[in-house]
Amino acid sequence: MKDKKKIAIYSGSIPSTTFVERLILALSKNGCEVYLFGLQKGKIKYNSNISSFAYRNSKVHKAWYLMKYTFLLLCFKANDKRKLDTILKSNSQYTLLDKVKCYPVLWHKPDVFHVQWAKGAEYWSWVQQFNIKYILSLRGAHINYSPIADEELADSYRRCFPRVDRFHAVSRAIKIEAQKYGAEPSKIDVVYSGLTVSDFENKMSPKSSCLNIVSVGRSHWIKGYHYALDACKVLKDRDVQFTYTIVGAKGYLELLYQIKDLGLENHVVLLDALPMEEVKKMIQKANLLLLPSVMEGIANVVLEAMASKTLVLSTNCGGMEEVIEHKVNGFICPIRDKDKMANCLEEISRLSDSERELMVNRALDTIENQHTEFEMVDNMIDLYKNVLNEG
Amino acid sequence: METKRIGLVLSNVPGYSETFFRNKIKGLQNKGFEVTLFVNECEPRQHAFLCDVVVAPNLNISALKKLLTLVSLILKACFVYPRKSYRLYSLDKKEGLPFKTIIKQILINQHLFTKELDWLHFGFGMLAVGRENIAQVVGAKMAVSFRGFDLYLSPLKHDNCYERLFKKDVKYHVLSQEMKTDVMHYNVPEQQIKVITPAIDTGFFNSTKKSSPSETIRFLTVARLHWKKGLEYTLEALWHLKQNGIKFHYTIIGEGSEFERLKFATDQMDITEEVTFMGKLPHDEVKKIMEQSDIYLQYSIQEGFCNAVLEAQAMGLLCVVSNAEGLSENVLHNKTGWVVPKRNILMLKDTIEDIIEMAEESKDHIRRTAMQRVRDEFHILQQQQDFVSFYTV
Repeated sequence: MKDKKKIAIYSGSIPSTTFVERLILALSKNGCEVYLFGLQKGKIKYNSNISSFAYRNSKVHKAWYLMKYTFLLLCFKANDKRKLDTILKSNSQYTLLDKVKCYPVLWHKPDVFHVQWAKGAEYWSWVQQFNIKYILSLRGAHINYSPIADEELADSYRRCFPRVDRFHAVSRAIKIEAQKYGAEPSKIDVVYSGLTVSDFENKMSPKSSCLNIVSVGRSHWIKGYHYALDACKVLKDRDVQFTYTIVGAKGYLELLYQIKDLGLENHVVLLDALPMEEVKKMIQKANLLLLPSVMEGIANVVLEAMASKTLVLSTNCGGMEEVIEHKVNGFICPIRDKDKMANCLEEISRLSDSERELMVNRALDTIENQHTEFEMVDNMIDLYKNVLNEG
Repeated sequence: METKRIGLVLSNVPGYSETFFRNKIKGLQNKGFEVTLFVNECEPRQHAFLCDVVVAPNLNISALKKLLTLVSLILKACFVYPRKSYRLYSLDKKEGLPFKTIIKQILINQHLFTKELDWLHFGFGMLAVGRENIAQVVGAKMAVSFRGFDLYLSPLKHDNCYERLFKKDVKYHVLSQEMKTDVMHYNVPEQQIKVITPAIDTGFFNSTKKSSPSETIRFLTVARLHWKKGLEYTLEALWHLKQNGIKFHYTIIGEGSEFERLKFATDQMDITEEVTFMGKLPHDEVKKIMEQSDIYLQYSIQEGFCNAVLEAQAMGLLCVVSNAEGLSENVLHNKTGWVVPKRNILMLKDTIEDIIEMAEESKDHIRRTAMQRVRDEFHILQQQQDFVSFYTV
């Protein structure tokens, strides 16, 4: 963008998740001035193109923050403040915390306000009243399952989605899902997550007599780990040699019980969440990354495994088939089907090194063609340009 | 007979719908027992309960109030219950507990020192953890009930949590023979464990139901929406039925943390039209829905025994259950219903299809056998008698 546009990336907390941080950093390196708002949850140092206007979770800091922005707005943007106060009151979001959240956005007034999580969509729709372009990301749980069980949330989407300036969808599948809530297809740009391949050690781990399987993700039913454990039981009954490590699921009672119940104590390990670098190493060492989820946008961990030349078996949930082609650059099995998952696992355990090498090389090609950071940033900047030109 | 004094330890005062403890207390009182309920918290209106209620000291308060409460507890420990406090200190110390833990136990369990008791009965296994010496301190015999979750799931979260308990001279109450066997695996002598199954009010839950073939099969489950109830597997089996062209409607009564998971599953499997989540309902409404249903499903992953299955049998529903713990004692396979190995969706689907194909006479035979068995073996009076003998034999 010729004249530097101010892009606000809002995820609620700073720092945000790995993939949002990756986007923030990449935009800042590519000529965008990035603004961050929200709650400061941890320490992070940004470059000079990133300005963080985070508040800390203490009463004193919030009070200071509120006074500062109230004063600035009263002195220099009194009309805007009045207008925002009226909107917040009419939306029943006029508490002190609401002001702490909203006043800084009004004061700094970015050109684009990009909300990362859809549950906050209606809350932030006021920014449009101040000529700020409003972009919403369509990611994971917020679109895929939360509004199915929560009618109120679904209704808020139906009210808000038709008015959003532009959507960023993480997959084609989630683009279709969002249309159920009134998102106009022409306003949805699919921009895949991207990563820097050179950040990953892409060397295939050698085959061993025991298939070393790993999954990475939070302890949540959406991850479908109980189906993976059912498949492990099938493997065990077939005398297939394997170990299965789930990173991020330590203490997950449902799985602990299932492991004991199915006699998988010697095969399955549940680990705590690990730092990114350690996760990378675990994926790199594994023979297979398993994604047993019942729903995903496009799982970033799969992209990372592909960049590390680790073979992937994923269910056909959400957007996963946009990345993996069965038996071409990985394996795909149906959701909620332990037998088919076990069949795939057994087949993978029998692959020769050369067969695996062929697949993981193709997987790396997929990442280099479709999921690079460069591609992601380029597409995001195009999205921002388009939305700014529309106005 | 000399009046026996029972102290029953629970987390909360049993609500109106928690019939098990209410029936137990009523039964004991009718037989001349004096029952005191010890709870961690209690709303003011709940003090007017069936029996005396003693509430644990509340330390979940502001710092100043907490300080005052602690001072009062320390003074009481020193001047009101010095012997009991010292005895608990000595016993816990002998077992190697850290000083800080022992002091904490003396303070937070002081309410258990207030009554003279013959029995101190912990209503759930986890309630006895850390309190293994208290019965001895108050001069009472100790009893512990295991109800499923506490025996099978709590030890997975808290390693070796029952190690001290199982070394004590404790009388255990469990819900099924399977649970008894599992407690014995912890080296607890058989004679210390008594099986008292849950029971229901067969006067309330009864029906003259007979087979009424209909085009749409009406399935029912009454359960908390919790992963251990195996509802996701149940929905998958029903999805297979739909693929085979079987028309059905499935009603789930209950609420819980897994609503989102189950609602999503119905949406993903395209069976939202066939499945209704009713939320939690009172007994009389549950009964009404049971009267309108054909097959009761309880395909749990973990289950102590399950009252709802007894109620469904008493109401003349054909019951299909999993083989989780006590369920295969609750329902006798091919006699009073069907028991299907857990986590086997296709076998569950096949069993349901077989039932649908069965001759109406055979279904009626199973229905009648189940109703009779529940009336004979699982009525409240029997359970109350069993508890009386639990404390007297």
